[in-house]
Amino acid sequence: MSRQYICMDTIRFLMGKVHPIAPLFTYDRYADFSEDEVDLLLGAAKDLADQHYFPHFKSMDEHGVVYDNGEVTTPPELGDIIRATAEGGWIGGTDKPENGGMNLPEMIFGTAQLIFQAANNSAQGYVGLTTGSARLITSFGSQELIDTYVPKMYAGQWQGTMALTEPQAGSSLSDIVTSATPVGQDGSYHIKGQKIFISAGQHQHSENFVHLTLARIDGAPAGTKGISLFVVPKFLPSPDGSLTYNHVFCAGDYQKMGQRGYATTHLVFGEDQPTVGFLVGEPNKGLRYMFQMMNEARIAVGQTAAGVASGAYYASLQYAKERPQGRALEQKKNLGSEQTLIINHPDVRRMLFTQKAVVEGSFSLAMECLKLSDLIHAAPESEKEDHFLLLDLLTPIMKTYPAEMGQKSVSMGLQVLGGYGFTMDFDLQQYYRDIRIMAIYEGTTGIQSLDLLGRKMTIKNGKAAQLLMAAVQRTIHEASTYDELKPQAQQLGKALERMGGVVQHLMPYAMRGELTTFLADATLFMEMAGHVVIGWQWLKMALQAKQDQLSGNDQFADAFYESKVQTMQFFFRYELPKTVGLHRTLTADSLPLTIGQVESALI
Amino acid sequence: MKLLVCVSKTPETTTKIAFADNDTRLDTAGVQYIMNPYDEWYALVRALELKEKFGGSVTVLNVGPAENDTVIRKGLAIGADDAIRINANPKSSLFVAKQIANQAKEGGYDMVFFGKETIDYNGSEVPGMVAELLDMPFISFASHLDLDDDQVATVVRDIEGGTETATLGMPFVISAAKGLAEQRIPNMRGIMMAKRKPLQVVEPIEAADVAVAVKYELPPEKGAVKLIDPENMDELVRLLHEEAKVI
Repeated sequence: MSRQYICMDTIRFLMGKVHPIAPLFTYDRYADFSEDEVDLLLGAAKDLADQHYFPHFKSMDEHGVVYDNGEVTTPPELGDIIRATAEGGWIGGTDKPENGGMNLPEMIFGTAQLIFQAANNSAQGYVGLTTGSARLITSFGSQELIDTYVPKMYAGQWQGTMALTEPQAGSSLSDIVTSATPVGQDGSYHIKGQKIFISAGQHQHSENFVHLTLARIDGAPAGTKGISLFVVPKFLPSPDGSLTYNHVFCAGDYQKMGQRGYATTHLVFGEDQPTVGFLVGEPNKGLRYMFQMMNEARIAVGQTAAGVASGAYYASLQYAKERPQGRALEQKKNLGSEQTLIINHPDVRRMLFTQKAVVEGSFSLAMECLKLSDLIHAAPESEKEDHFLLLDLLTPIMKTYPAEMGQKSVSMGLQVLGGYGFTMDFDLQQYYRDIRIMAIYEGTTGIQSLDLLGRKMTIKNGKAAQLLMAAVQRTIHEASTYDELKPQAQQLGKALERMGGVVQHLMPYAMRGELTTFLADATLFMEMAGHVVIGWQWLKMALQAKQDQLSGNDQFADAFYESKVQTMQFFFRYELPKTVGLHRTLTADSLPLTIGQVESALI
Repeated sequence: MKLLVCVSKTPETTTKIAFADNDTRLDTAGVQYIMNPYDEWYALVRALELKEKFGGSVTVLNVGPAENDTVIRKGLAIGADDAIRINANPKSSLFVAKQIANQAKEGGYDMVFFGKETIDYNGSEVPGMVAELLDMPFISFASHLDLDDDQVATVVRDIEGGTETATLGMPFVISAAKGLAEQRIPNMRGIMMAKRKPLQVVEPIEAADVAVAVKYELPPEKGAVKLIDPENMDELVRLLHEEAKVI
């Protein structure tokens, strides 16, 4: 391993202290685990990332993906990465033992994925997709589908994908037209249509491809209520283990600006010969089923953005500590003096602090979400709804904040390197290209923002929002007992009030059915909510650091705890105040300037 | 075939070293610990490979307090059958060697594996001491180890400027260098199984710490890099001669 791409102490601090995993082990589902296993599992994930993922981060980008007449050639090292990940148990670990899993808590599994994502985001995409699609089968598919497909997927032999987007239906899934015609009483259908932007849809390291495909059964209602979910394998497996071509043709690979080692394919089903698919669950419930995977994928995309931003942060931090350039302004004319390292320049520090604040704030939010996922699985029924609602509300924020702010932080990281950052000799340009897609995958920032303001803030009469407010208030209350944290606790309280004020200002538009006005600036609301939620996470981290220091806990060095408090202070001084300006725009007396007949101005 | 692999707990390779109590001990605040890589990657894995080929058992042994159990569990997760921890806070190599030798003698092992050194003290002392105490042959810095069907071992060891090949019969003590095996990363199932494998805790035998560390200090900091104009070789030679004093 040539350099750092993630801070394992921060991971341990988050999982052990800020969002303690230990209480999960009191639930039956996770009773087999203890903190000893957590250490070993995280260590194994880091070893795997060091040995198999990170060494190929750059080479996978350089090799790229090559399409030729239906075949897709991906970087050769990908096969080893998939095999090692499967052997480690990191594809199927969270599933039930009867499905080949180990009931691994999402906190551990998701954090392992985060480590892989930070090490090599393109490679992690392949295995992450197989995990998500296999879990979709085990959640909603028949036992026959589970027995036929899942063991091979968890073994890393068969690649899973999610096949949603069509040329005319991307963000608008209600417009998909891929058809499913019943052909027998066994739940099999002929699938006909095209799917685009299918990640990992074809490559040379898998014996078979299992496409979890959305399609419309003949005669189904229009819109999202007529969408069903199918397993569509590239090759049909026979009981004797042989595979028969199922006429799933790969018509191309999209050459992308980033994630160049990650195949993004165009698939054609049933063009010349019938393609057989198998219904998952009940007809017309496909989109609801798919949302399990999409919600997981949204958190995973946010995590990936945070992981990429983490890799970029450590690359630029290392450079800043080694590169001498210029002098302190007071020494500017003293050309005989030695140049100073660029980390000593305040503006470089500002960029590095911003990177650190975005990365670790996002990590903490990821851990919050993963813990809620575990509680949804394991907590008593009476508590599950609250966990579900809070996770439902946080998911679009978890997807969007790291994706949007991660871009800015990576851009700053590139800026730290100056001209060298723009060259292919350094990794920053790759991180910059790789992270750009994260604001687009699994629902663009615009879609996530509509979901947050238009649905999640009002769901169950605003109960999810109330749960979030109460959770933030608890942290504010606790932090207020420490003099050093009191100013930031008060500041967060005011930002939370401003967020509530925006909702109050906008809600009458929703009540009157003026949805365009209500949601026109949803993305700005998302930006505001993201800053409030990450501020909450930073206050949590600083609070824990303070408590550990005062109690004499030396699991981490003093410098580590101080860095958490200082970065929290930075976030509250340089980032959180942005909510003031956003509040002003979002609560302006006049209507948003983007609605009505204004397109003529866009010349 | 009974194989014993002695493992140490060492600070993680990225640890920033600092000292406490008037420089008489390592400052452990914030230090993360790992199994000594030479023990784990080479000694333990080669022992497991031999067991997989010839049958038998692999036992991991550590001399240390209960906090070391996490490191021991990793050995079990990678594939060792059982473990022994000699419950002591050792301060010298000879103390450790006496504990291990006593345990090895009782266990009747065919091979006793060590890493060539720990990455904290870099002493390379314990394996040789154990061999002496057990009156067994000792091969250090082994980068290759094979057994034939008659269970005669062929060992290649690194020496200055090359390698040396030896053959010997069991039992013997061996210290492992890079090349003896390739790192194995424990899988999820192995990690979950590890807690069900036996870890026996035994009390140490009487043995004095004959050497006590009096003081630790860091090596001098590296000086700043000086960039020399490639056209000015005379200056480079002068600096190498007068400042670096390497020519």
